[in-house]
Amino acid sequence: MAASPALSPRPNPPGPGARPSNLNPKSKGLALLHANRSPATTKASTPNDTGVDLAEQMNDDVREQYVQGKKLGEGTYANVYKGHYRHDPTSLVAIKKIKINADYKDGIAMDAVREIKFLSELSHPYIIKLHNVFSTKDQNISLVLEHLPCGDLEALWKNPTLSYSTAEIKAWASMLCQAVWFCHENSVLHRDIKGNNILIAGDGSIKLADFGLARSFADPGRPMTYNVITRFYRPPELLYGARHYSSVVDIWSCGVVIAELAIRQFLFPSETDIQALSLIYELCGTPIEDNWPGVTKLEFYVPPTQTFTNGVSNAAKRAQPISVWKQRFSLLGDEGVDLLRGMLMLDPKRRLDARKVLAHRYWKALPRPTPREKLPKAGGGEEKMGEDLKRKGIGGEGEGRADKVARKLDFSSMRK
Amino acid sequence: MKLTEDDIYRTSTQYRHWSFTHAQLDAKRLKSNVQASERVKAAVARHRAQRNLDITSESGMGESSMGSGTETGGNTPLAQGLDAEVHCLSVTEEMKLVDTFCERALQLGSFLKFPIEVTATGIQFLRRFYLLNSPMTYEPQGISKTALFVANKTEGHHLTLEKYAGAMSKTTPEQVQAAEYIVVQALRFHFDVRHPFRGLKGAHLELIEMAHGKAATPPNSTQSAEDLQNSMSQIPRKDGGPAAEWTVSDLEKRITDAYGFASHILKTTALLTDSYFLYTPSQIWLASHLLADEPLTLFYLSTKIPSDSDLHTKLLKALRACALLLSSHHTFSPAHSTPKEKEAREKKEKQEVSALLKKLKQCRDPDKLDLVKLNQAQKRDAVSDGGDLEESKAKRRKVEREGFQKEADEFWGPELPKNGNGAKGA
Repeated sequence: MAASPALSPRPNPPGPGARPSNLNPKSKGLALLHANRSPATTKASTPNDTGVDLAEQMNDDVREQYVQGKKLGEGTYANVYKGHYRHDPTSLVAIKKIKINADYKDGIAMDAVREIKFLSELSHPYIIKLHNVFSTKDQNISLVLEHLPCGDLEALWKNPTLSYSTAEIKAWASMLCQAVWFCHENSVLHRDIKGNNILIAGDGSIKLADFGLARSFADPGRPMTYNVITRFYRPPELLYGARHYSSVVDIWSCGVVIAELAIRQFLFPSETDIQALSLIYELCGTPIEDNWPGVTKLEFYVPPTQTFTNGVSNAAKRAQPISVWKQRFSLLGDEGVDLLRGMLMLDPKRRLDARKVLAHRYWKALPRPTPREKLPKAGGGEEKMGEDLKRKGIGGEGEGRADKVARKLDFSSMRK
Repeated sequence: MKLTEDDIYRTSTQYRHWSFTHAQLDAKRLKSNVQASERVKAAVARHRAQRNLDITSESGMGESSMGSGTETGGNTPLAQGLDAEVHCLSVTEEMKLVDTFCERALQLGSFLKFPIEVTATGIQFLRRFYLLNSPMTYEPQGISKTALFVANKTEGHHLTLEKYAGAMSKTTPEQVQAAEYIVVQALRFHFDVRHPFRGLKGAHLELIEMAHGKAATPPNSTQSAEDLQNSMSQIPRKDGGPAAEWTVSDLEKRITDAYGFASHILKTTALLTDSYFLYTPSQIWLASHLLADEPLTLFYLSTKIPSDSDLHTKLLKALRACALLLSSHHTFSPAHSTPKEKEAREKKEKQEVSALLKKLKQCRDPDKLDLVKLNQAQKRDAVSDGGDLEESKAKRRKVEREGFQKEADEFWGPELPKNGNGAKGA
């Protein structure tokens, strides 16, 4: 993340003499504003005083750094555009423009607030980089994000033309777990980890994205909402309606994502919460006080032996024996299976936390993870390019693939 | 793997963008003040010229200024006659006003029963806002309400705008919202504020453990938990005093008292000063703890850093400077100030503030008087020249249509309406 020209420094706060020097003289619409940029000591009696605040000026300076290109995708909460730095058209960005939501009466949308709040604080090679935020005159907020043209982790295992094996899975899993560890070290819960929120960069590394549901760790005893995390990836404590939970909710999601990489299908595909639970019971066993002290006190806990109205049996199940896990997740290897079992532990107190995940012997066992530049990725290879061209007609460089970024950047539409 | 607190803090926006030296703070405030003053004067002159023109054209007489002040009424600076000099606020006066509204925001937060982080964040938003803006441009009463509301959102407290505005007299949701963009823009979209509360709580728990002889000592520590407990029981009562003899329960009380005092400072005084700009959260809580119980704090530090190290000296210097900042604030009331002194001080304070508010009325930027109107105008522009609103409407309708279709296709048909409409039909 270091050497990219895309990481040009933010304009400095207007300390003495700290004015950005890379102003482009060509920018026409802003000539007026620039006239007003002169330090406050000049005579303010200029007839052109448009009354630009210092803050407004700083904002305009940021906006000026980028050129917005064509629209890549649209969602209910934001549009995503391709963009680049004005001074360097080859350094690409994705500009996520938050829409004004007429239905939300309380101003700037919470998704945007959360995403901006947390991404501004988190700087890590495996977390999507928020370069900047600016607003336009008409009160639209735009997020300038890293340009990630190579799809996402879900598209990857779904793509039948890509083949990968043990070492590649380990590489992706390792980057994902480092990203999540970093969030947790910074006291941030992601709360929406899933394959299609994990984007893939041009260099093969993965980037955890979409922090629209994130929050800081709560003080002990303060309730949180259980209605987070896409159902396939939601841990049992949230399905049971827990209002007090810890960072290991994200670990469960990571476990599911890693398992999906290994079996190249969804692990817990479900239409309802009850279905999700019964699939979890199938693999991990039915939670009872013995394997998860306290579980029976959770709001939506249903003890075994009752029968659901839709006919799905709820007789207590035992966890699948380790041999079944090893067979089903053979691509993870024995150590990988052990890690997975630790991440998919029913009892949140016994589930591994991010530090323990990173300390697991899986990472040190052979084979070593594939170096990221050798990882397969969508968007590389002839077939993929052909597909892109088909989809997009002529399709300029990377448009088809970038289209994917746009879609992936905006999942709030699916949350409703 | 573990990151240190310092590693984490150094990547925060608070450290990278909102930490300053005294000199930098002064320079920023001066710059904002000068710019705002110039602008107020220019805007007032422009308004006067404009009105002069209006009068001239309306009356058809070439006559100028006399008596026109009566025409506008209201309390704009224009009302005082055309040639009157506009007396702008000084930096000190601006600071006084901002400080006052920080205190009022603190009261508002407790009135609304906000958790302290929400209020604390709101107050820091307000202080950050007025580094780049002047009360003459944006008056602090309205901005403080907006800042606190934004904090309510960024801290995930979720009090709705309607309820928020409803809880205050003479406040409409539109007023609170009108300044939202102005505020978030001035905050440079940095919504995360690092507070010292959790750090203090952590130290408190740690001290209690030490007192019980159960402290978790670092792996290369020369002292065992018992050693720590021993030396702790001999902490002098006062700094430089003779070694004392503490029982565990007395020690526990002492630790808890210190925590209570320090915690109070963090929730009041620390928020109302520039401490967040000048110091890190851990420096702030350590300084508060130092004010609460110096020997205990020095003991605590000595368990982390050898007392004879350079780092220790350097740290203590910073802590003492921070402690001085806190203890010289008027809300820091040591035991020896009498109620009468306090009352007199508050009275004087009140007079000063009301005089300042009066002065502010005379030097408000006439272009920014009605933020609600300005905000509406900007939104109108957004609708007329950007297609986005229309687009989103169309999209929403499409999503609704598709959702309906999907429901209808499902085996049981669409879901029945929830509110007894079904019963009516039956």
